Amino acid sequence: MAVEIRVPRLGWSMEEGVFVRWLKNDGDLVKVGDLLYELESDKSTQPIEALDAGMLRIPKDAPAPGTVVAVGALLGHLAAQGEEIPSESIEHHILTESPFNNEPHAQPGRVVSHASIAVSDGSERVVSSPRARRVAEELGVDWRRLRGSGRSGRVREHDVRQAVNKGVFMCESVPITPRRRLIAERMVASGQRTAPVTLTTRADATNLVGLRNQFKATGVAARAPAYTDIVAKLAAMVLEQHPMLAARWEDDRVVSPTRDQFNIGFAVDTDEGLLVPVLRDVLGKSLARIAEESADLIARARSAGLTSADQQGGVFTITNLGAFGIDAFTPIINPPQTSILGMGAIRREPVVLGDGQIAGRDQIWLSLTFDHRVVDGAPAARFLQSLRTAVENPSAWLLRTE
Amino acid sequence: MNTIESTVRAREPQSRTGEPPHSALLALYRTMQVIRLTEEELARCHQRGLVHGACHTYVGQEAVAAGVCAHLTREDVLFSTHRGHGHALAKGAHPRALMAELLGRETGLSRGRGGSMHLFSPEIGLMGTSGIVGPCILQACGGGYSFKLLKTRHVAVAFFGDGAVNNGAFHEGLNMASIWKLPVLFICENNQFATEVPFSYSSGNPSVGARGELYGMPGFELDGNDAITIHQVAGEAIARAREGGGPSLIECKTYRTRPHAEGMGDFTYRTRDDVDAWKLRCPIARLRQRIVESGVALAELDAIDADVKALVDDSRRFAEESPFPAPESATRHVYCESPSPPRSLIRNRPPAAEARRISFAQATHEALAEEMKHNPRIFVMGEGIGKRGGNFNTTAGLFDLYGHERLCDTPICERGFVGLAGGAGMTGTRPVIDFMFADFVLDSVGEIVNQIAKMQYMSSGRLKMPVLLRGCIGIGHSAATHHSGSYYAMYGQVPGLRVVVPSSPYDAKGLLKRALNCDDPVLFLEHREILTLKGPVPSDEYEIEFGKAAVVRPGTSVTVVALARMVHQTLSVCDALESEGISVELIDPRTVLPLDVETILESVAKTGRLLIVDEPPASCGFSAEVAARVVAEGFDDLDAPIQRLTGAFAPTPYSPPLEGAMAPTPGDIASAIRRLMEE
Repeated sequence: MAVEIRVPRLGWSMEEGVFVRWLKNDGDLVKVGDLLYELESDKSTQPIEALDAGMLRIPKDAPAPGTVVAVGALLGHLAAQGEEIPSESIEHHILTESPFNNEPHAQPGRVVSHASIAVSDGSERVVSSPRARRVAEELGVDWRRLRGSGRSGRVREHDVRQAVNKGVFMCESVPITPRRRLIAERMVASGQRTAPVTLTTRADATNLVGLRNQFKATGVAARAPAYTDIVAKLAAMVLEQHPMLAARWEDDRVVSPTRDQFNIGFAVDTDEGLLVPVLRDVLGKSLARIAEESADLIARARSAGLTSADQQGGVFTITNLGAFGIDAFTPIINPPQTSILGMGAIRREPVVLGDGQIAGRDQIWLSLTFDHRVVDGAPAARFLQSLRTAVENPSAWLLRTE
Repeated sequence: MNTIESTVRAREPQSRTGEPPHSALLALYRTMQVIRLTEEELARCHQRGLVHGACHTYVGQEAVAAGVCAHLTREDVLFSTHRGHGHALAKGAHPRALMAELLGRETGLSRGRGGSMHLFSPEIGLMGTSGIVGPCILQACGGGYSFKLLKTRHVAVAFFGDGAVNNGAFHEGLNMASIWKLPVLFICENNQFATEVPFSYSSGNPSVGARGELYGMPGFELDGNDAITIHQVAGEAIARAREGGGPSLIECKTYRTRPHAEGMGDFTYRTRDDVDAWKLRCPIARLRQRIVESGVALAELDAIDADVKALVDDSRRFAEESPFPAPESATRHVYCESPSPPRSLIRNRPPAAEARRISFAQATHEALAEEMKHNPRIFVMGEGIGKRGGNFNTTAGLFDLYGHERLCDTPICERGFVGLAGGAGMTGTRPVIDFMFADFVLDSVGEIVNQIAKMQYMSSGRLKMPVLLRGCIGIGHSAATHHSGSYYAMYGQVPGLRVVVPSSPYDAKGLLKRALNCDDPVLFLEHREILTLKGPVPSDEYEIEFGKAAVVRPGTSVTVVALARMVHQTLSVCDALESEGISVELIDPRTVLPLDVETILESVAKTGRLLIVDEPPASCGFSAEVAARVVAEGFDDLDAPIQRLTGAFAPTPYSPPLEGAMAPTPGDIASAIRRLMEE
């Protein structure tokens, strides 16, 4: 009996992915553990390994590289030698061509056409042929802005194609990538399913800056930790004392992490959109190690090298918009997590010290969004207060004895 | 010899000599009781609401069906009327199947497609009862023609009422049966009312039997409630027919003692006293009396009665318990579901190189000649198609090869010989009706639409209808209005027909050969103005499938769909348009039914523009059908409104300037294409 090769679900919300390419050829003998093909899920490209042995049979109508395939879709078979493969056409649930497909004649993905900004005032009705509208949609042309060459000014296919040749009146639109769609779905889901409240506080980051400078100056770590790395380590330590802020909401319970599960995600901006790789077991790792791992994750995030595993298991997320000069904002919780910390820009500002003197000190805004379903305002505020103390006194926290 | 007086007198004295033996009398009695009790049970079922439509009972007339059918074998064929339950049972249909049919069940005689008026069981020679008065007479002639051609000893019987004898089918049918000495029995059951109109009112000549002589056949006028006499006379007539002695007409004067149809009022046109008086002349009671007088014990008859009662009760139960047919099967059996394989190679496209060029008329002649040689069951009927060889040389030379039975000249009675063709197609031969001009065949449209097209369906696929109807269509040469019509759109609306309208000699030969091997009825319409047109035709044999359009000329700017002569009119302007930069793709669907929409859609997907050029007027026509299908299925491919260029909406006039204004000309077509390009 031939074993069916079907599209697996990578991660909890994957419904479809892009079939990237086969890593074996039709007719190859495949061993258990061999890498069979690459599948691009919402956030990463993964090689998929064979769990069964057999001769790979790829049907003629199997999904082409670059095709979007539904989870569960049939890709091919692993057959015993000489075994007949069911001849009927496989239902591989090709949904649409991938927008990432680089084949020269590939159809572009579905273009979402925004209502034209250029339609004068609606008083002049632009008529068009059904074919012209179809071609306009395929090619991303805003036909409403064209002057038709048909009788009574009807826009015809010819007019649309001319517009394409001249590169005019193209719709201001881009295809929605699977990654964008996933981000959108998760953001909407977060808004719909959590009860978010954002607290902000200002922390004195002078010691934090000093600590980082010490790393830089001494070179004790192969790579000086970024502020996010230091805050991630501090946050994990503070979270251990406020585990409800690191809990995840399940249907009928709230689950806090065990000590080795303080995995902290951090937002990385890439060309393809937002990615959140996860630093594992932050409590158990040195700052220097964290710095190395985060650098690696960022590099891989930006080169499409993240695996699904790299992005799973986080209990808390940090997003840092400081590089853009942002001070405070309202981050959106990354479900099923309970809270997310937004870091603002570190600015040197005049501060009135305890003795009434004014001094230049490094200041940072911390924005904590938490799910009010899971925790109330006071415990969340207590956590943020503790975190602020930690940020203001990082060395003491990092050097504390267990 | 057989005048009313002499016939009636000759049969009135109840001579006991030659009376059937007891066994035959008891069989007659049993058949009549089966009919009577089944009908009474059906009347009950009607009252209970189990019969969904009409229910025409045969009560009172049982002697006729029983007396005639006693002499028939399963191979003899019977054609009947709306009052056909008795005929079906007498021919051997089981009461279970009859009752199930009226109850609309899958196990019914017609599998639920017929009901009371459309009963079929070709397996036992029950070739159909009909809701239309008259056609059974012509179909029986067709059965007779088949038997004569196939040299069997079978006979065909038409049962019809007095309502049919003043209908053209009676005249045309009896005349044809007479001139060709067909083995046919015409049984007129004169129950004295055509529905509710009295025969005494509607017939100038009160005797039907007397008309036989006038058509050149024996005619009899019998007491229709006297089973023994009917049995005797019918037996003699059938024996005569089997021996090649030709047809007979037997009038049986009788009376139905139930209303025209169950549930209808009965005493607006006749009185209760009349009905009661006839009930006293009950044919079953009369036969029973005679049997008792001849010495048979009453107990034996009572046993038959009890047996029949049990049979009918069982049949009703069977019918009630039978399943209804599945609704999704409603469109099955419109066409033959197990078609015979093609005799020749299927070649929908012409071969690349072909030197021989012959005319359209030569191509169809070749096709017919080849198939007649292969298939001795093919015969041709028409006016002047025998020795003369056809008005358009369609049969030239074939008479000398195959003689008058296979090349049969007809009287001018289109309804008659088209109806006959239907009966022949059902009974094992393959008629070709050559009607010269499509206008002529309009007289037989009822036979085509109501009978020929529907037989396969009504019989739930148990009958085949291999009938080819061919003739000329089209405007030209001042033929004027009765020789210029096309009508294919009209036939295109009829489920069960194939409608072929070829444009080239190649197509004409391949499609005619397909038609002559097809098990469905085919209308093969040949445009008169292209009969002499020559084109390449391979000398070997081939067939072209129905429903496969030809891309006559490939192009990219605009699709033109045309048939027959309009293909050539369009083709004549394509080069000129090409030099203007307009590349025409010309599609000839070749068959109107089935219509190859797919090829048209493929073309429109390429060009985005569609013009339909059609010779007949536009309304409800072929062009409307093509346009509607393309809009529905190819809307997003259209870059301009679909346009139609069609003939004027008027009968075709005679005078050349008037006639010239009727059909699209090459100039009209070129202009229409240019206009469409600007849309």
